[in-house]
Amino acid sequence: MMLLERIGTFFTIILQLVSEPITLAILFGSVLLGIIFGAMPGLTSTLGVALLTALTYGMDTATAMVCLLAIYVGGTYGGSYASILINIPGTAAAAATALDGYPLALKGEAGRAIGLTTTASAIGTSISMLFVVSISPIISYFALQFTSFEFFLLAFFGILISGTLTSPDLVIKGWISGFLGLFMACVGRDLLQFYPRFTFGFTQLDSGVEVVPVLIGAFGIPQIIQVLKERFQIGETQKLQRIIPEIGTVIRNVPAIIRSALIGVGIGAVPGIGEDIAGWVSYGTAKNTSKHPETFGKGELQGVLASETANNACVGGAQIPLLNLGIPGSPPAAMLLGALMLHGVTPGPMITFEHPTFITEVAAILLLSSLAMWVTGMLLAKQVVKVLRIPPPIFMPIIGMLCIIGSYSLGLNIFNLYLMLPVGIICYFLTEMGYPIAPLVIGVILGPMADENLRRALMVSQGSFMPVFTRPVSLLLFLVIVWTVISQFQFYKNFKNKLVARLRRKKSVTAVGSNGPPAEE
Amino acid sequence: MLEKDKLRKADIFSGVIFILFGFWIISQALKMPMKDSWGGVQNVWFVSPALFPLLVGAVISTLGILLAGMAVISVGGQEFGRLLRWLASSQLIVFLQTNGVIRFYAMSVLFFGFVYLNLPRIDFFLCSILFLAVFISMFYFDDDRLLKKLFAFYLAGSIVCLGYFALGLSETLEATLPYPNDWLAVVFIVSYLAYAWILIRQVPALRKKYRTSLVLAVVPPFLICPVFKYFLLVPMPTEGLVVAMLDAIWYWDF
Repeated sequence: MMLLERIGTFFTIILQLVSEPITLAILFGSVLLGIIFGAMPGLTSTLGVALLTALTYGMDTATAMVCLLAIYVGGTYGGSYASILINIPGTAAAAATALDGYPLALKGEAGRAIGLTTTASAIGTSISMLFVVSISPIISYFALQFTSFEFFLLAFFGILISGTLTSPDLVIKGWISGFLGLFMACVGRDLLQFYPRFTFGFTQLDSGVEVVPVLIGAFGIPQIIQVLKERFQIGETQKLQRIIPEIGTVIRNVPAIIRSALIGVGIGAVPGIGEDIAGWVSYGTAKNTSKHPETFGKGELQGVLASETANNACVGGAQIPLLNLGIPGSPPAAMLLGALMLHGVTPGPMITFEHPTFITEVAAILLLSSLAMWVTGMLLAKQVVKVLRIPPPIFMPIIGMLCIIGSYSLGLNIFNLYLMLPVGIICYFLTEMGYPIAPLVIGVILGPMADENLRRALMVSQGSFMPVFTRPVSLLLFLVIVWTVISQFQFYKNFKNKLVARLRRKKSVTAVGSNGPPAEE
Repeated sequence: MLEKDKLRKADIFSGVIFILFGFWIISQALKMPMKDSWGGVQNVWFVSPALFPLLVGAVISTLGILLAGMAVISVGGQEFGRLLRWLASSQLIVFLQTNGVIRFYAMSVLFFGFVYLNLPRIDFFLCSILFLAVFISMFYFDDDRLLKKLFAFYLAGSIVCLGYFALGLSETLEATLPYPNDWLAVVFIVSYLAYAWILIRQVPALRKKYRTSLVLAVVPPFLICPVFKYFLLVPMPTEGLVVAMLDAIWYWDF
């Protein structure tokens, strides 16, 4: 009955959204904007969501979610255009697509490749939507059993795992980045005693660092500086023929699509890990399981299918921890969290009580966004491709101006800009030195949750850490955290190698023993 | 991102910075009430506002030590010594004058000038036009020699503006001329554009880029700002000459 009721609500929401022409216009407009943002090298879906957040301030929550999820879905898909046509990923999420997409374009099959990425992306988003609806109640149920220790450890785990998996250089740098984010979250009056921390007498800092302007600075400013400093040039665009939906290829590859979607959802559900990792893992898996791995990198359709299905499935996957635990699954989801807070929705286990239909609403919007993306991709791809010819020195300054007006408009406070700019410049240097930005952002967002829950938990236990070891979920999280940290060190790797070698030796001795001594001649 | 060998060298410095930063966080946290009374409430260590910053500071400095240590081992003593000698030599000055670094200075000065100097004092439309005109033309011309000249001109103009604001001339002039800061911005924009035109007028390809830059500097503020101002009802950071004119048109207030 519950299930039927939920399905009924799902379709009612879809009907409601579809029946409003303004909502439909916003949906298609945002998807198109997302595709443009994704397609233009240097712009990302995170930046798109960040900039659009400012425009959604005056909208009701449902319309704002349509706007933001649509640009997120469109942006993740749009990255494939530049990957296929100019061999430069429009977004990091589409990096794996370039490996086979561009060779296809060189063979004169760019239209086919874009048709395939459009269909695969739509399927990936739709499958992830199914997971959002079906898994959310289960996670929500378990999350309701969590106490402060679990929430503290969960936040800590989110930052560590994000730092571990997103670091382009040393893992330590990812962790430092996460803890810098936690430090930024400490700024302002603390939530339990209202003691001013690191405010230096600035009353504007009493309420803490505003999340959205900081995120805009962290993602926008470094991007602008990097692109213009390195004189980023867009290469020659390959010719785009008629776009073919490639439904036949999709049907022939259903198992591969399901596998890629599962990888995307799974990676999306891990806190702080974005679509780029989903794309690479899925591509690698497709190559390893293929009967003809040698064709990968030379224009293999399965390669394009794997990365594009996974990166768009990651969009839905990232919503699962975001909505049920308040922990963003990817950098754009972190922006969504900021936007949700602006609209008075606090994601977490209580969301099913405070806003009973919200998760179903998100799922419905995801489905509509994937449909809108497919239609827009099929009809307007040829027009959108023209944006690839715009040189970055023209659009990057305009993005800079949008970052500034967007950050200001969220709190009508110039002080936000005074914070945004130094954060942006520091993030640029961090990026140059191999520090990932995603953990920093996750740290800023999860900091208050970690701080408050740690102290609450210790208050309840009168300063004892024993509940960490007596509560099963806490203990599990603690062990995972310890393992995540230890597994990165050389001594652990040496120990593991020695252990594996010893076990193998033992196994081979046992096998020889069970076969009996070799026969004497 | 830097190349691998340069990254390891940079890690030594970033590691040291993080060690110091971590210690600074700890020192600040130690000033917070630990077991003292705050707001009439006797504190205990586990409810103290210092607890979390102490944890964060300790972890940052520990990770900084690990990072710097690993980098020193990886780079080696000899290479580290060479790096220190390079930092003390004139080669550092040469590096700081390379084209890539000058492009970075140009962008930083543009952003800082826009946010800290112009935005709180000049009409938002005008400071956006100035920002876009300088930013787009500097980089779109794609000529480092021109970029340096245009950057020098913008820097000089910004220093003049800084002096003007610091001396409080704006208040003195306001009695005789409405919106004196905005008129100053108009003069700055016009003189910058005139200077850029003098520099590029001989090259037809750059003349076309100049026109594009001009259009793109003016059109986006007049598309974006009205959306925020009149549709989202977001007041501009500073409203002056142009906003007053637009208000008059929008509300038909002649």
